[in-house]
Amino acid sequence: MNPVTADRRHFEDLVVGETINLGSTLVTRQMILAFAREFDPLPFHLDEAAAKRSLLGGLASSGWQTAALTLRLLGDAFLSKIASAGGLGFSDLKWKRPVMKGDTIRATATLAELRRSRHHPQWGIVSIDLDVKNQKGQPVMSMRLANLVEARDPEAGMQAPSEQPGDAEPAGQP
Amino acid sequence: MTRWFEDITIDEPFPLGSHTFTEDEIRAFGRDYDPQYFHVDPNAAAHSHFGGLIASGWHTVLIGHRKMVDALEAEEVRLKSLGQEPGVSGPSPGVNRMEFKAPVRPGDTVTYTLTVTGKRPSNSIPGWGLLFNSIDAVNQHGERVYHAELVGFSKLRDFKMPLRLAILEALTKLPGLGKLLAQRS
Repeated sequence: MNPVTADRRHFEDLVVGETINLGSTLVTRQMILAFAREFDPLPFHLDEAAAKRSLLGGLASSGWQTAALTLRLLGDAFLSKIASAGGLGFSDLKWKRPVMKGDTIRATATLAELRRSRHHPQWGIVSIDLDVKNQKGQPVMSMRLANLVEARDPEAGMQAPSEQPGDAEPAGQP
Repeated sequence: MTRWFEDITIDEPFPLGSHTFTEDEIRAFGRDYDPQYFHVDPNAAAHSHFGGLIASGWHTVLIGHRKMVDALEAEEVRLKSLGQEPGVSGPSPGVNRMEFKAPVRPGDTVTYTLTVTGKRPSNSIPGWGLLFNSIDAVNQHGERVYHAELVGFSKLRDFKMPLRLAILEALTKLPGLGKLLAQRS
């Protein structure tokens, strides 16, 4: 048993359909500029005059910043409370609308799917649908994450029926 | 890409460069965006199945994005130095798929490569083309760290806007008239 995660919710404790309110974050001009300098130094994320001339019409956050801020909300409200064993990746990330300076983004997570790992009986995989809206209720981003979760009872995993062939599962991690 | 839609070649790898991840930056990113114990606390991380600290997958992806922005800017400078006019890229609508394949540990060096695997003119935005991009990240042992499939936009060089669309666009830019047209329709 992993002493760090022993008291947290394990794979068996999760329920499909559970919705978690992840709270909200105000996206300030300072945050947009600092993130852009580090990860996405394009003129329309760094310079207000260039941003006004761009398709976005004003200073907007990098789509990756919206994703990173949502990840932080998910970490605080959910991943730190379960026996997470790392992410497998994500799919269908859609940037639907720019996040402008002064916007507040609000996120919810829905547990969309739960299945045992095919190769590792000590883990299950949770699929999490993330939905992010701005203060006007307009959708700004959505995606589906896949995360490994430690199981309390690895033997149940070994008895689980094998999944469909071609249902690829990454070997991996972070 | 910083090339015109027409000039972009399919399945030709474009190197984006490498990055070595230090323990300090792994923990700093974890504290800011992904504070799970195996990204921020080396002692607790020893209890995880990773056996030690690893970078957030999102950290490796964001560094890959930064490498791409820098490499495309350098390509733009190179094309200008050859007397060519670089192409124009647009905002990305999203990422179809991102698979984290192997953990990145302190001291690991990750090398990133961009490949355009497909392209077609956009149906919804005249004058722009859709690009289907792959990014592959590989560590110093040759192991795949992640594989990404992204969508991007690139401007068409040879696009001639149909007269009807050009007139409509010009009309909507006239002050007052755009609003009037919208009310009438």
